[in-house]
This record gives sequence, C-alpha cells and structure tokens, in this order.
Amino acid sequence: MISTTADSPLVEQSAHSHVQEGFFRKYLWTFDHKMIGLQYFWTALFFLFVGGALALAVRWQLAMPGTEIPVIGRFLPQTIAVDGAIVPGGYNMLVTMHATIMVFFVVMPILIGAFGNYLIPLQIGAGDMAFPLLNELSYWLYVVSGFVILGAFFAPGGAPGTGWTAYAPLSAVAAYNGTRVGQSMWGIAIFINGLSSIAGATNYITTIVNLRAPGMKMFRMPLTVWSLFVTAILLVLAVPVLSAAAAMLFADLNLGTSFFKPAGGGQPLLWQHLFWFFGHPEVYIMILPAMGLASEIIPVFSRKPIFGYKAMVYAMMAIGVLGFMVWGHHMFVSGMNLTLSAAFSVSTMVIAVPSAIKTFNWLGTVWRGSIEFKTPMCFALAFVSMFVIGGLSGIFMASTPVDLFVHHTYFIVAHIHYVLFGGSIFAIFGAVYFWFPKMFGKMLNEPLGKLHFLLTFVFFNMTFFPMHNLGLGGMMRRIADPTVYEHLRQLQPLNQVCTIGAMGLGFTTFIFIWNIIYSLRNGPAAPANPWHANTLEWTVPSPPGHGNFPHTPTVYHGAYEYSVPGLEEDYLPQNVPAPDHARLESH
Amino acid sequence: MSTAVLTHDAPAHRGASPATCKFGMIIFLISEGMLFAGLIAGYFVLRWTANGFPWQPGSAWPPDASLPHLPVLLTSINTVFLVSSSITFHISESAVQKGRSGLGWLALTILLGATFVVIQGFEWVHLHHEGLWFDKGGIYGSSFFVITGFHGMHVAIGVLLITWCFLRQSATRCFTPQHHPALANVALYWHFVDVVWIILFTLLYWV
Repeated sequence: MISTTADSPLVEQSAHSHVQEGFFRKYLWTFDHKMIGLQYFWTALFFLFVGGALALAVRWQLAMPGTEIPVIGRFLPQTIAVDGAIVPGGYNMLVTMHATIMVFFVVMPILIGAFGNYLIPLQIGAGDMAFPLLNELSYWLYVVSGFVILGAFFAPGGAPGTGWTAYAPLSAVAAYNGTRVGQSMWGIAIFINGLSSIAGATNYITTIVNLRAPGMKMFRMPLTVWSLFVTAILLVLAVPVLSAAAAMLFADLNLGTSFFKPAGGGQPLLWQHLFWFFGHPEVYIMILPAMGLASEIIPVFSRKPIFGYKAMVYAMMAIGVLGFMVWGHHMFVSGMNLTLSAAFSVSTMVIAVPSAIKTFNWLGTVWRGSIEFKTPMCFALAFVSMFVIGGLSGIFMASTPVDLFVHHTYFIVAHIHYVLFGGSIFAIFGAVYFWFPKMFGKMLNEPLGKLHFLLTFVFFNMTFFPMHNLGLGGMMRRIADPTVYEHLRQLQPLNQVCTIGAMGLGFTTFIFIWNIIYSLRNGPAAPANPWHANTLEWTVPSPPGHGNFPHTPTVYHGAYEYSVPGLEEDYLPQNVPAPDHARLESH
Repeated sequence: MSTAVLTHDAPAHRGASPATCKFGMIIFLISEGMLFAGLIAGYFVLRWTANGFPWQPGSAWPPDASLPHLPVLLTSINTVFLVSSSITFHISESAVQKGRSGLGWLALTILLGATFVVIQGFEWVHLHHEGLWFDKGGIYGSSFFVITGFHGMHVAIGVLLITWCFLRQSATRCFTPQHHPALANVALYWHFVDVVWIILFTLLYWV
C-alpha cells in the first residue's frame, strides 16, 4: 500500500484522472456506482409519482363511484375513463398498473437499485462495484422496462387489467381479458425488469464477496450490506422463475401455446405456482433491505450498539430460506389440498419467529438508549411499529381457516400496504433523510422533515387502517363499485375516510419533494459525518469523490460501536482502531 | 463539491480480477439454472396432471397417438456435436493456457455449435410439417418448442460469444496464459448450456 501526504505527487496525478466529464458521461452513461444509485433514485421517484397518481384514481373511484374526476379525468384514455368517470374495466387497469409499478418500478429500484448501489461499495470500503458496466446496463434495462410498462397504457385495448398477479386463464386468453397487446407488454416489461434485477443482484453478490476492504470480515459488515446480500441471493434464485412464467404467458398470448389454457390441456394453477414461487421471496426482497436500512438508522439515533447483531444476520438468512417454502399460502383459496395447506400454514407461521427476533432486537436497541428523534429515526421507528401491525395481520392469512374468509377482502389489502408502505416505504423515507446529506452534500430541512413524517404517519393510518374493518365487514377486493352491493353500502363512509387519507398522503408527498428541492438549493452543507455514525461511508466527504476512498480503508471492528465504555467519543468509526482498554461489542 | 483525492491503491474502475469475473459468471449461471428449472418444472406439472405420473397406466407421451414422436436419433447425433463442442472449447482454453493461440480448436467449437443450431432448426421445421407447433399438439407442442427455443437461443448467443472471442484472439492475440477472463467465462457459459442440454435431452426425448 502506498501512503501519501497532502502534497505528494499522487495528488497531481489524481487531478489529471479526475477529468471533467460531459453531461452524457456524467449523468446518463456513467460507471460510478454513486451516480447509478442516483439514477435509480430519481427514476424510481418519478415512478412513485405515477404509481401514487394511479392509487389516487383508484381511491377516487371507490369513494365516489362513477363520478367525474375533476380536471384530469378528461385526459385519461378512453379505455380507463369515459367522460372523466372511471369505467369498471378501466378500474382494473388502474389497480393492475398501480401495483405493478409500485412493486417493480418503485420499491425494488429504490431499495435495491438506489440504496444498494449507493451503499454497498461505500459500506464495504470498495472503490466501486465489481462490474461497473453491468451496473449501468442494469439501470438502463430498468428504464427500458419502464417505457414498456408505461407504453401499455397506449396499447390497443388498453393497459392490462388482470392484477399485478396476472392470474391465468384471465391473463392468458386474449378473448377473456381483451388486452392482448397490453398484457403482452406487461409480460415483456416484467421479463426485461427481471434481467435488470438479475444483473444487479449478480453484481451485488460478487462485490460483497470479493471486494471488501481489509479487515471487513463478513460479520463486521453493516446490516444494510447483509440485508442486500441476502436480498440479492433471493433475486438470483426467484426472479428467473417469474421470467420463465412471463415468457410462457407471452407465448400463450401471442404464439398460441397452451401452458395456462385449459382448452389446450394447460393448467391455470401452474401460473399461480410459478408466480408465487417468485412472489413470496419477492415479499422479502422488498422488506429485507428496508429492515437493513432501519437497522442502520436505529442504533445511530439510540447511540447504542444494535442488539444481537449476529441474531439479526441469522434471522435474515432464516427469512430468506423460509421465504422459498411458503408460496402456497397465497393459494389457500385456489382449491388447494388441505394437507398441503396445513404444511404451508405451518411453514408460514415459522417465519414469524425470525421476524419477531428482528423486531425485539430493534426494541432492545432503542431500550434505554439516548434517543434523538431526528426525522430518519422517526421514520425508522414508524417502520418497526407499522411492520408489526402488518406482520400480525399476516398471521391471520397464514392460518388457512381464517384466510379462506379474509383472503379476497380488503383485509389483505390493508395487510399488504402495512408491510409494503408502512414497512418498505417508511424505511425508504427514513433512509432518504439519513443518507441525503451523503448523497448530495446538503442537509435536508428538519422541520419540513418532521412535518412530512407526522402527516405521512397520520394519513397512512387513516388510509389503510379502516381497510381492516372494511375487509372484515365483507368488502371484496378488486371491485370497481362497492355501492352496487347492498351489504357494502353501510361501509361507504369508511371508504371515503380511506380516500381522504390517501389524498392527504398524496399532498404530503409534495412536502417531501419540496424539501428535496429546497434543500438541494438552500440547505446547509453537510459535514462528512453529520450523524456521528460508524460505517465507512461517513469517513469520506459528502458527497464522496470518484473512487470513494482516498486510501483503501482498513476495518478494525464491527459497525455498531456506539457509547463504548472507556472512550471519550460515543462513536467509533470502523476504520479507527480501538484503544486496548475499550470494551467492544464486536470482534 | 468533494475534495477527495484518488490514490492508486484504490482505483475506481480497475477491471475486476479474473477470479472475481468467474465468481460473477457462476452467480449468473445459477440464475440461468433457475430459469430452466422453472420451465422444466412447468413442463412436468402440466404433463403429470394431464397424463398421470410415469408409473401410472396411460402415462404414454405424447398423449395422442396421432402426434409425431420427437426424432430421437437425429437429436442424439446433434447432442454428440454439442458435447464435443464443449470438449473442443476446453482443449482450446488449455492451449491458450499453454501459450498457444487456440484458434483452430475455437473455430471447430464455433462450427460444432453452429451445426447444433442448424440441425435444431431443421428439426423444428420437420416437426412443424408433421403437425407439431407452438399452437398445435397442446401442452406437448407448447412445452417442447418453448423450452428448446429458450435453449436454442442460449446456444445461438453462445456461438456469437465464441465468435467474438475468436475474432478478438485472431486480431490481437489478447488471451495470454495468465489473463484470459473473457475466454474462461464464455467457456463456463458454454459448458453450462451443454449441461442444460443434456438434462433437457433426457427429460424431453427419453422420459
């Protein structure tokens, strides 16, 4: 290793290598993992806006069925709204596109694409990903798949309307769904998006295994990196199965094959098995990185080591392994053999154990800590509590007899949003507030952040909590107009409460966007380590330069040495050796 | 903006080491394995639900006697071609490791790989004439053409990759005994495609 001082000749050399790149090379076709992370970030924020708008259209229809959407209603395609009022088929398209976009184009790209890309090399002390070109290709494959899915709105017959699960035979027979082109484009988009995910995951696994800085043993890695590592393994194993299923669906629609068509000897249930074999690991693909991000934020603002670091790692591995054995619990209502149902019930309930380990460890971390309620911490704590609500309603679904009654109701809609919005999106917001200073070199505005948190928290629960009651009250999911059912009319006020909450959520997002724009222009400059955190990304300037680390860092201990007895400072960065008398948590 | 200074012990975009490239390739191939696992699982689920398990009476495949049987003999010969191409590729790689160009064996590999694709294409045309196609012959036709189509596409991409290696090597002699990660990774891919074919051949033609 070459040691350099500030005025050694190397400085001059690096000034040469730090060439000014044009706009194209800097922002569009870059090999720098940090810029690729930001590309993912902005693109996914755009899709968050699209997916959110679709959700608001859905909520409008449920609160005021058949009434004209003010202003924008007239601009919607004829397949979705006629004279500004949503038609039933169009409602299905909105639901389908909302879910598809939120899952494949918002949550996965932000968690794995943006934070995965940005944080993995920085947190393991590497200069970049193992395969920078592959990294950039993965981003552009994501963009291409995004164009294809948005293009489905303009396809003849309209966007796909078969739900994000695209159950056959509805999705596989053009005569049933009426959107052969739109549904095919959905399949193509999923396939290309899958290629992007596999390329990214391959890169992450390779990087984490091969490019760690000296001293960064696997069990010294921050939990964010661990979570992304397990997630990447799940992606590599689960996504190709969805790609195979999407290809079969495409062939059924366009080549006349009969994989999922009973008329030609095919099996509609095969689609469900293939889809959920991917779909359940997918659930953990979307929550594990969120858990990792929260595990990073909570110790920092509690000034305490994470409680049970190894237990957290083993719990994530257990969730990853068990995640492949539980897909049948999505199919209890598909006429599954009851013995098989029982097996899937049990394996599903077992997942509650590692999830509970994680939850109690977060609580153990916070317990008796010097808690600072900064915006990231607020979101992280909200993540834990909302995830607990979502996890507990998951147990209802795991139990076959209960699931048979609540599966096709709004109860499950409430459940999925508590884990995906209350879980993943809350963690994403917290992570944005936490790492924004590192990413852009500016601090986000704290009062605006608190306001954003408070309103998001209130409106989120206002939107989704009543859905539990709606579901138990008998409201079926995927119906365009609840008021046509006698037994649902009395529940209509609850639907309207949900919609008011959803609108509030929509408007609250503008506070977030305003905070980003305002802070990028006027925010105070961020120091290298504004939160006094330990992980390696905080040892370099904000934002880090090209190549991340002036010198390859050496790592001496784990990432969670906060308030170590015997040290003056209450934190100890991973690249700072501890004095002999310090009592460290990690080795 | 940042004042970070780069030094030479942490270059941003040094090419990944050959071992790292190989690791990445193996991860990618595991993913590819799951793709074929999904397709094969789908095939057997469909076949067994329609026709019963192999040990049950009436499990004959193809289900309908009027449907054409797959040309086992021709494909066996074709399989020999593909397996030999793996061997020739390996010989070429060993030659490169010994400091020779390996170009002759590489050319033979391309020839064998391309022959496989051509014979496979001939087989498709033949079966199409006999009345088996994506949309004919129910799940028998569907699964045969989609699975062999996916595999054939992989072989075709492999042939292109080997051709790319061949052109690079003949133009610049860039593969040295110490450093030939591109060749090694294409070889890995090619052997994978070969192994998948042996599994597919067994399951589609013999079982």
